[in-house]
Amino acid sequence: MLAFFAKRLALTLPTFLALMFVTFFAIRLVPGDPVEVRVGERGISPERLAQFRHELGLDQPVWKQFLDYVGGILHGDFGTSVVTNEKVLTEFLTLFPATLELGLCAMIFAIIVGVFFGVIAAVNRGSFFDHTLMGLSVAGFSMPIFWWGLLLIMLVAGQWGLTPVSGRIDLIRFYFEPVTGFMLIDSWLSGQKGAFSSALSHLILPTIVLGTVPLATIARMTRSSMLEVLSEDYVRTARAKGLGTLRVIGLHALRNALIPVVTIVGIQIGTIMAGAVLTETIFSWPGVGKWLIEAIGRRDYPALQGGILLISGLVIFVNLLVDLLYGLINPRIRHGN
Amino acid sequence: MVTEATIAEAKPVSTAPSPLSEFWGSFRENPGAVAGLIILTIIALLAIFADLIAPYSPYEQYRDAVKLPPAFVEGGRAAFLLGTDALGRDTLSRIIHGARISLFIGLTVVTVSIVVGVVLGLMAAFYRGIADVLIMRTMDLIIAVPGLVTAILIVAVLGPNLTNTIVAVTVVYLPRYVRLVRASALGELGKDYVIAAQVSGVGKLRLMFVTVLPNCLAPLIVQAALGVSEAILEAAALGFLGLGAQPPTPEWGSMLADAREFIRSNPWIVTLPGLAILVTVISINLMGDGLRDALDPKLRRS
Repeated sequence: MLAFFAKRLALTLPTFLALMFVTFFAIRLVPGDPVEVRVGERGISPERLAQFRHELGLDQPVWKQFLDYVGGILHGDFGTSVVTNEKVLTEFLTLFPATLELGLCAMIFAIIVGVFFGVIAAVNRGSFFDHTLMGLSVAGFSMPIFWWGLLLIMLVAGQWGLTPVSGRIDLIRFYFEPVTGFMLIDSWLSGQKGAFSSALSHLILPTIVLGTVPLATIARMTRSSMLEVLSEDYVRTARAKGLGTLRVIGLHALRNALIPVVTIVGIQIGTIMAGAVLTETIFSWPGVGKWLIEAIGRRDYPALQGGILLISGLVIFVNLLVDLLYGLINPRIRHGN
Repeated sequence: MVTEATIAEAKPVSTAPSPLSEFWGSFRENPGAVAGLIILTIIALLAIFADLIAPYSPYEQYRDAVKLPPAFVEGGRAAFLLGTDALGRDTLSRIIHGARISLFIGLTVVTVSIVVGVVLGLMAAFYRGIADVLIMRTMDLIIAVPGLVTAILIVAVLGPNLTNTIVAVTVVYLPRYVRLVRASALGELGKDYVIAAQVSGVGKLRLMFVTVLPNCLAPLIVQAALGVSEAILEAAALGFLGLGAQPPTPEWGSMLADAREFIRSNPWIVTLPGLAILVTVISINLMGDGLRDALDPKLRRS
């Protein structure tokens, strides 16, 4: 087990290092001088410019800059935004809970609905419901989610007026200091009347939009793995013993059918993170995805560099965790190559 | 029932059914795949003959007909079948020309991915050692980062335009092809026919591209079909974020971005380009599923 952990870690560390290398040099390829961007259009004296360069370490050789950069990261310094003058890590950590809340809700939504529909489709294989559902899953899988979001805003928020259009909570009516960063929990803790339901209603559409692609994938996966399990001997045995259908499917079959689904859930984390960029942009959700896109618009390259590194690092880290967990659950993975 | 007479009458079949007819017979059984193929053919024809079919130029602005709804809705004009956008450009013409751009992106991305993927994948499989490690670790790095984030980084560095969109999306999807080619090539390498070829003195390049490669093609074709739809989606997402094709190019994603501000007042401008993306991607995916079932029975879904 320890060897398995060590091996996975050994594979991940070079990836992190390469990631730092790529983001560092990619950003240096951007045309335009970072100092001049910071100085603005008015310009300053050459002496001041040289001083600026020195402060930012830009007069050093590139390899030295890279080593300093890596050293900084190891000390938790991901650079400073040239627009807000705020530490990139601080900005990221302030915004990240919003992304995490949205991502978690989308994943929970996708798992519950996806598994539920996948099981029903498998049990009623070949039925009208099964065909409809598989057709819908192709559509969900093919969905341009940025358009899906606009469509839902148009219908649910605009036409029917059921949910708000953007943001995390009604900022005019409610204000409270963030405690956990999760709006659902914070609004609950604030004790203000209606705050929780406001936060919840803001979350519904983004959750659906972000959860759509994983939902389609999970439903498909659950269906096919359930079909496989349903033809196993032990399911027949359970039926022969006279157990009720619900018990056979829910307890005996589903437990084993879910094993491959767990892997899919792990793989979907990257999809969720990429989808968050689009979803947050559509719903003005103040998370790291929207922040990243805005950093490009403002030519805030330190923020872009740090943001990409942090987001990617996080996805790699979570994937590593999923891998390790999977090894823990499934001995075949642990002892395989 | 089979009688002796019928056995006697049966002529010996000397040739197996050609791979193509066998493939078609299997593909035809899947109604979704056939539907996908038909729709995709129509879209492809629209894209190829866009100049002839589109009623107007995608760039021409009709100032007297701004933000019109489609002709079949109240307030629409028969002259503009699917209405016009905020600058008075004909939506139908822009969508038809957009099909050209999207299919071009999809096909270019997949073609480049296959060519580069085959070369890198075969190199990794044949030369092993340091080449293998370098290639595969690079691919692992690309896979580890969420696709859209990689694409955003590339476009942010190179600048937002159509060419760089293609570059970015190609980089994002390249690892799949490399991995696929490498894995299937490694699977073939130990087989007798490869060893026989090696023993008979076939050169390394010939062995790679003539002997082994044809046997790795089936999964590659399936991946390529699905890859077109993914490339179209990814490129449209970049366009929507303002990081892809720039206005006034009639790219579906950037058309949606332009239309965003009219989401309340003119829902049609927002609805139609997205519908075009969805229909195209669905038809490619349906067709890809059929291809997979027909080409690779091992992968057949239950």
